[in-house]
Amino acid sequence: MTALSDVSLTVGKGETIAIVGENGAGKTTLVRHINGLLKPTKGSVLVDGLDTRHTTTATLSRKVGIAFQNPDHQLFSDSVENEVSFAPRNFGFAEELVSRRLDWALNFFGLEQYRKSSPLVLSGGEKKRLTLACILAWDPEVVVLDEPTVGQDSLQKEKLAQIFKMLQSTGKTIVIVSHDVEFLWPIQPRLVVMSGGKVVADGEISKIMADRELLEGARVTQPQLLRLYSGLLSRPASPFLDVHEAREWVGGRRETQEAR
Amino acid sequence: MGRRKAGDAGGQIGAVYWLSGGFVFRRVVSPFHKLDPRVRLLVAMEFFVLSLLASTVASIFLVLLAILLVAAVAKSLRRIGRTIAFSGFFAVFIFAVNFLFGLGLLNAILYSFRFLAIISSTSVFFVTTSPDELEQIMKWMRVPRDIVFAFVTAVRFIPVVMLDAFQIMDAQKSRGLEFERGNIVRRVRNMVPILIPLVVNSVIRSGELAEAMESRAYGSTPKPTSLYAMHLRWYDVAVAVGSLVVLFSVVGTLYI
Repeated sequence: MTALSDVSLTVGKGETIAIVGENGAGKTTLVRHINGLLKPTKGSVLVDGLDTRHTTTATLSRKVGIAFQNPDHQLFSDSVENEVSFAPRNFGFAEELVSRRLDWALNFFGLEQYRKSSPLVLSGGEKKRLTLACILAWDPEVVVLDEPTVGQDSLQKEKLAQIFKMLQSTGKTIVIVSHDVEFLWPIQPRLVVMSGGKVVADGEISKIMADRELLEGARVTQPQLLRLYSGLLSRPASPFLDVHEAREWVGGRRETQEAR
Repeated sequence: MGRRKAGDAGGQIGAVYWLSGGFVFRRVVSPFHKLDPRVRLLVAMEFFVLSLLASTVASIFLVLLAILLVAAVAKSLRRIGRTIAFSGFFAVFIFAVNFLFGLGLLNAILYSFRFLAIISSTSVFFVTTSPDELEQIMKWMRVPRDIVFAFVTAVRFIPVVMLDAFQIMDAQKSRGLEFERGNIVRRVRNMVPILIPLVVNSVIRSGELAEAMESRAYGSTPKPTSLYAMHLRWYDVAVAVGSLVVLFSVVGTLYI
């Protein structure tokens, strides 16, 4: 069985890309190639000039941090602080640096109060944040997130979006695999659409999301804000990126009509 | 695309996964699969007995050949081959121990091949019998229902737990864990980040399964009926009687 074929993709340093597509399209299989968990049977994958076929996963992981979908597949330590320190220690960081990175990660993800708690007693959202903290603790250049919003409530999603913005501002290369178009839309990443193990579209999210036929083929829904924008008779030059923008515009139009 | 590199830890798990195929049921249409599961169990048990009775190298080869013949009829020769490949390591060990302790070359060969024959006869039964059929056989043997359910569920969950193990290994490798680094103590310690999530997930899953079963009224009927019932047909009887005749004539030739 071939999981992926004819995939040709170049991601620039500091770029944010999102990979969407139907279940079984090959999204997770593709990202598992970035840190060498899977090796291509044909062709090659280069990460910062390193050919993944000839580089160990441990070496590649120093550059690429992957946060997997299910936190329960990685949490094992007796305390949150040991869980976060696990990877930096594996990468041979000095204890002083490990401790500094630990403090930063717990603070950044709001997990300071759980420092001594077992990771297994945290809630679903906290576990998810902890897995992100575990990845960012070693400061990888590329951050890959597999379905980061699954099982998260709206508040957690907002927090995640803020974290993304912060990561973007620090110049990280970010790859997000997600079904959640509402979450991706305000971030405005470069969008890669996959279907049947192939890349069927690659480009600006606003252009791809406007192509309904393509989206239907890959079983991706259009973001609600874009649907609202398309349905307006009078609309601004570019689509709304968040609800506040849309509300302001619609509210402004109503006031103008009432004034008339 | 999507190959696990041979030799790394993923490759090792991949190899274990491949080998486990020698004991996990796959649906195949074959004359052997059409037999009543009780007859399949009988045939496997007869092979088991014959493997124990065979006292010469020639006879154990004959038994092993007969098992492979049945595996070929069951279109499962490749899967049984995996079992033999898996057991090969232990067979070599048995051979070496017996040979080194002075039991002679022929006896060493006999014991190692007897081991292979015993494992293959068990594998012939498990590869051709679905968990449902296993359940029916156990119920027919009047094994208590809860024990049957626990046993069959454990068999069913082997592939699921292996998939879990794969994903956990990938997650920990992505955090810089190198399984093949360091001395034996370090390597054993490296398994802790795999085993803890695996056990925790399995315990959580079993709890969820118990709740789901209770929500679906498991245990509310004192004596539930089965959707499928086992019926002996003429060819089942023919195979059972035929195989018993072969078994008893072999035993007769050997001991009378």
